[in-house]
This record gives sequence, structure tokens and C-alpha cells, in this order.
Amino acid sequence: MQDTPRPAPRILIVEDDLEAAEALRSAALDLGAEAHLVDTYDEGLAQASSGGWDIIVFDRMLPGGDGIDAIARIRAAGSTALVMIVSALGRAANKIEGLEKGADDYLAKPFDPDELRARLRALQRRASMGGIDNDLAVFGALEIRMKARTVHVGATHVPVSPKEFELISFLARNAGEVVTRMQLLENVWNLHFDPQTNVVDVHVGRLRRKLEQAAGQPVIHTERGEGYVFDPARDGAGAAGRA
Amino acid sequence: MRHRRGTASLRVTLGIAAGIIVISLSAMGLQYQLTARALAARQAELLETDLEAFAANYQQRRIPALRQAIDFRSETMVPDEAIYLLQDREGVKLAGNIDGWPLGIAPEGARFAPDPVLVYHLPLGPGGTEIAYRGIARELPGGFRFLTARAETPREATLARLRAVILPVAAGLVALALLAGWLTSRWVLARIERINRLADRVAAGDLSARLPGQRPDDEFGLLETHVHAMLDRIEALNRATQSLSDLIAHELRTPLNRILQKIRALDAPGERKAELEAEIHATTRTFNALLDISSAEASSGTRPGFSPVDLSELAAELVELYQPLAEDKGLSLGADLSAGCIVLAERNLIAQVLTNLLDNAIKFCAPGDTIALSLHPSEARHLMVVEDSGPGLPAEIRSEVTRRFVRAERDRAVPGHGLGLALVQAVATHHGARLALPDTAKGFRIEISWPRLAD
Repeated sequence: MQDTPRPAPRILIVEDDLEAAEALRSAALDLGAEAHLVDTYDEGLAQASSGGWDIIVFDRMLPGGDGIDAIARIRAAGSTALVMIVSALGRAANKIEGLEKGADDYLAKPFDPDELRARLRALQRRASMGGIDNDLAVFGALEIRMKARTVHVGATHVPVSPKEFELISFLARNAGEVVTRMQLLENVWNLHFDPQTNVVDVHVGRLRRKLEQAAGQPVIHTERGEGYVFDPARDGAGAAGRA
Repeated sequence: MRHRRGTASLRVTLGIAAGIIVISLSAMGLQYQLTARALAARQAELLETDLEAFAANYQQRRIPALRQAIDFRSETMVPDEAIYLLQDREGVKLAGNIDGWPLGIAPEGARFAPDPVLVYHLPLGPGGTEIAYRGIARELPGGFRFLTARAETPREATLARLRAVILPVAAGLVALALLAGWLTSRWVLARIERINRLADRVAAGDLSARLPGQRPDDEFGLLETHVHAMLDRIEALNRATQSLSDLIAHELRTPLNRILQKIRALDAPGERKAELEAEIHATTRTFNALLDISSAEASSGTRPGFSPVDLSELAAELVELYQPLAEDKGLSLGADLSAGCIVLAERNLIAQVLTNLLDNAIKFCAPGDTIALSLHPSEARHLMVVEDSGPGLPAEIRSEVTRRFVRAERDRAVPGHGLGLALVQAVATHHGARLALPDTAKGFRIEISWPRLAD
């Protein structure tokens, strides 16, 4: 990223369950963010609309209202914060409803703290990257051409299927960060439920072997129990990839 | 629905028209009968009056008086109206307005008694036409023969005029009755059609559909009120189910979340913690599946959230998702998909059905087995078939495998919660799809026929 330290991201957490609120706050602090906690719908809406937030985490079934009803009002108030819904209403249908009503991400309770961190990080990255979408993403020798939908290592073309391309581009957008299986299922396959078998692992495994063969070193790393990290430079010179 | 409406309308129209026609024709028939009878009675009365007068004359001065009376009448009456004749024993005419005794008539009865009455036809009309007469023929003491009769012509003419009126009136009545029947049926059926249209909308998934406007204070209004009350109740129950599952979700997931967060903070070996976390995730999955099933069941036949989904494309995507997993397990996963099979559906639920079926197939099959997914359109439905050459279903659970938590004893060791096919069934029903588990010699086969989206 940038060499000059960015100001700490500001995260608003609207959650009435103490335990969940604490988990959310600690995840936000892990990210180096400044977390602010409120526990009712009305206060959450008032705070969210006052602006200045990078990420807003909203619960549903709060005293006073439903977080997804707040999204439109937060947007109407002119906020550009990314909104993440964290809710006990965790069926696929609930998630889709939330996303359709404008949530940027939707996490079901009970949630894994790692899953939460990964998602907050992805949002934070999205918030800091803004709307810029480079055609060319370069990670050392590895190049991803977004418009042509091709992957190259040096001069060698790495053939990937369309889904594999979506997979690698999602991983690359979150380069250096842990990406969970659920995130991949949601973002690459547009599936909002958890299949019993780990179908995603097999796909990532295949892509990983392809890239490793071409690059001569691991590109996608497994974080045990958490997910995957796309980091072509991890065993290399130490310079972080630039997106 | 539509075609029955037409025949009901016709039936009501014809029924009402037939009722009106039968009643009015009977009324006219009765009127005709009464008129005919009244006319006959009048004729009989005239004859009787004549006879009484003749009897009185005869009483006074016998034949001369009778002759005088007949002469007097013969001057004013033409044979078209009434005939009179008095003859002596030689058959010589003494008085009367006809010349001779008509052939075929024998004197009958006593003097001037009103009975018996004879009915006969004589060619005395203009140009020799036959005229019907009602009258008497008697032999008086001394061999005198006496005959008098009244022509039926005026009565027949009146009745003929009446008949001539009745025919066009009857035709008009039939037309009016048909019109009245049609108007009535239109009015009645329009009221019923209103309710039918409402029922159609409800069946199509719009539980909040209601009839607009004021409800009239009659039986139809009452029917509409009842239908509305039923719909309100169904809607409330549906909402209650939905909010109950939301509440259950909230009340169970919130504590589960607390447990999960606390596990993280526990001072225990990482493996142990991962195990506990996995248990919680498995519980959540079971719980999700249960809620998905009840939600799909509760809203069976309703369509909120439905949009056109390309089944062919979705199936291809999911086959692609599962292909590597199948290959890694040494299974061959084949797909034979016709393009462009569109259904009105919740994409996410159909995806869940397919992942459940493919998950199951991969889970239960052994290396070397084959799995095949096919999708082909037919007349009104898209037939989706998933089959494999795996162990298939044990006979004892075949009939109830789509019920919740039904699992084969032999599969206890295979991970799963026994809700996969229950969800498949619930989602299929939710989409109006038919599900079949045909008997197979080997392996497992499931057929789901999705209603195709009307073009």
C-alpha cells in the first residue's frame, strides 16, 4: 500500500448483544481501527448518518429496528461507509435480502472471529482502494490482466478457466489478507450457503498448483482453519505486492 | 378454471331462460284453455236460452207457436251463426233457415232438454265450406222433427285470433327470457369471477391480494368478507411462522455465538477448540437446513422473491463447482444439459437443491462410480435427473427419505444431518415442481420436473 500511514479507519458497531459486540470490537481493534459501539437502532442510525465512518457494522433485530432498514437511510444521509450486517438471521435467503437492500457484506451469527476479521479486512481494503480498478495487477512476476482476463508469469501465459480467473482476481484484490471459504463461495460462485463438502478447497488447490508450477514458488497459501492468502512475495524478497 | 366459467355462464343463462319460458308459456296455455272454455260455455248458454224460449212457445201453443218463433229467428239469423229447422212427419219444412234435414243426423233426446248435444259439420259456409255446429235434433210428439244448432265459427275465430297473438308473444318472451337469463348470469358470474380472480392471485403467491372497493350488503358481499377473513388469517399465520423462525434464529444463534466467542478465549488445546467450533458449525448448519425447510414449506406455492432463473446455466455452474471434487474422489461426473431451461424460482434455493444432490452423490459413491446430471425440456416442464451408480437407497427408507432426519442405518458413519433430501423436497414443492424417486436396479436416481416459465 502507501508508505505514509493512513489515518486509522473508523468503524461504527451497532450491536445489542454484549458478547458479539465485544468480539466485533476486538476484531476492529486487531485491524488497527478505531471502534465505536452503540446498542440501539436509533442511536446507531443517528451515529451512522452523522458521517465520518469507513465501515458500519449493523445488527438486525435490534431494540428499535432492523439494521437492513437502516442502510437506505444511511445512504440517504450521504454516508459512503461500507455497511456490513452481522445477524442471527443467517439463512441464505436472509443474506440475499440484506445484500439486495444494499449491504456490502453479510455475516451470520454464530461467526468465527477469523471469518469476521477476514471480512472486515476485505471491506477496509475496498474502502481504502475506492473505486479505482486497474486493468493490470502486478505481483512481482505474476501479472493479472483484468480486461483480457488472462494470467501471466513473466512471459508465460497461465491458462485458467473463467471461474479460476474470478477466483484469482478475488484473491488478488485481497492480496496479503486471509480470504475465507465462505467469502470465496459468496463472491466467486454467488452461493450464500455452506455446502457440506469443502468444494472450494479443491478449486483453490488446482489453481494453486497451476500458479506454483508457473511461478516456481507458492502463490496461494493456506491458513489452517481460516482460509487462503494470496501472496506471491511471501517466500520472496519481502516486498508486498502492489495492486 | 377459465373454460368452466363459460359453461357455467351458459348453463345459468339457459336455466333462467327456460324457467321464464316454461312459466310464461304455461300461463298463456292456461289463459287459452280458460278462454276456450268460457267461449264454449257461452255457446252452450245461448243454445240453452234458445231452447228455453222454444220450450215456452211450445208449451203455449204447440207447433204453430214454435213455427212462428223459428220463422222470427230465421229472418235475423244466417246459417253461419245458427240453424233452425222444423219439419212435419212427411219431412216438409214448416220453418227454418236451412232447406232440408241434414244427412247423418238422427233425432235424439226429449223435447227441449239441453242434453244430449250433438256436434256435426255442415257445408253451409260461404262457398260450401264446412262449419262446425253444436246443437240438438229432436222428434216432437206428432212426428214433427225439430233441429237447432249454433255455429262454432265465432268461438273458433276468437281462438284463432288468440293463437295468432300467442305465437309472436311467445317468441318475444323466449327472446326476452334469454336476455334476462344472460343478464342475470352475467351479473351473478361477474360477482363470482371477482372472487375467482382474487383466488387466482392468491394462488399465484400474492397473499396480500384483496378485492378493491365497497362490499355490497348481500350474500356475495358476505362471501367476499369471508374470503377476506380467511386470507387475513392465512397471511397472519404465514407472518407468524416467518417471525417465529426469525425469533428462533435470534434466540438460538445469539447464545451459540456467545459460546463460539468464549471457546476462542478458552485456555484449551487448539485441536479441542477446533472440534468444539466444528460442532457449533454443524449445529448451525442443521439449524439452517431446518429453517430453510420450514420456510419453503410455509410458503409453498407463493412466489415472492421469484425471478426467472436459467436452470441450464445454474446446473452447469454447479457441475463445474463439483467436477474437481468428483475427479479427486475417482468419480466421473457427467452432465447432459439442454440450454435455455428457464424457471421462475429463487436461484439460491435451486442452487441448494443441486448442491445437496451432488454432495450426496459424491459422499455416497465409491471410486469408479459415475454420477450424471441431466436437464431437458418437455411440454410444460423441465425434467432434471440426478443419478449415480452408488449404493442407492436401502429399501426400508425409500418411502420416507424425504422426511426430516431420516437416514439409513448403514450411513451412520457418513457425515450429514439427514435433511438434504427433505430440503430438496420442500424446495421442489415450493416451486411447484414434482419429485420422483424411481426404483433403480442399482444406484440412486431422483427426478425433479420444474414447471417451465411461460414465454
